[in-house]
Amino acid sequence: MTQILTLLVVFVAGMGLSVEAGLLGPLGENVGHMSATLCIFLVGSLLLSLALVFARHRALPEMFAQPRWMLTGGVLGPVYVVIITTVTPLIGVGTTMVAILFGQVASGLALDHFGAFGVPRQRVDLYRLGALALIAAALILTR
Amino acid sequence: MLSFILIPLALIGGVTLAVQSCINGRLGSAVGTLATAWLTFVLGALISVLLVLFVQVPQETSLLEAPRWQLTGAFFGVFYIVAMVFSVPLIGIAAATVAVVAGQLTMGLLIDNFAWLGNQAYPLDGQRWGAIFLLLAAIALIYIGNRKRELANQKIDKS
Repeated sequence: MTQILTLLVVFVAGMGLSVEAGLLGPLGENVGHMSATLCIFLVGSLLLSLALVFARHRALPEMFAQPRWMLTGGVLGPVYVVIITTVTPLIGVGTTMVAILFGQVASGLALDHFGAFGVPRQRVDLYRLGALALIAAALILTR
Repeated sequence: MLSFILIPLALIGGVTLAVQSCINGRLGSAVGTLATAWLTFVLGALISVLLVLFVQVPQETSLLEAPRWQLTGAFFGVFYIVAMVFSVPLIGIAAATVAVVAGQLTMGLLIDNFAWLGNQAYPLDGQRWGAIFLLLAAIALIYIGNRKRELANQKIDKS
């Protein structure tokens, strides 16, 4: 029962990501793509800062003691959000999501294969390769 | 015609997402998801401010003049992060990934079909239904692949 409920919550959370993209597109057309991106990160930072103040575990000192490359993931965030904001109004939320999924699965395969950024090396498996081919076909259909 | 540029652009978006989750995954396992998400958003905000100030062409409408509901996107993003933090330990990363992708695609297609939130309409036609079936199969394959990996990792942990 908990399992099904949890799955449902995660499904709704996934729906939320599309709502986010659906809000971003028109907002970007309205106030500019970069202002729309700023809105996401600013509001998100504020919410998470609030959460951090009340979090049980104080992780910030530990975080800044980590190797620097581990702290650079956030630099890629704005690239992603600017892209969604620009692309969504022009090709639709559905097609955007399918294209992103393809990029994600394909590069996930490559990163695992070469063991990039310290992830354990995993050879390309047929399941994900098959999934990639199906996503490519879906992308051609939704376009 | 435009989609020849836009779809590759969206693909690059997916690549940045994968690289980011790779780096953040490492950081997350050291300091926790909340601190990692916080850093990601703060860095994102800093870079966005620079972009708005120095790159973006001046706009007629400012963020503060846009309708409030259009500004709520981040709540969904943060809800997603919190949901994943609580759910992954309960149902595993394989099932969680599948549920997220399924939710994302379902909602994306619904928004397109009904032109919700001020988006342009892209009706659910035969081609899109075909794509849905292909994606369901793809999600099933990803699930099986991830599940096998999880089981293999558990074995390594035990031995």
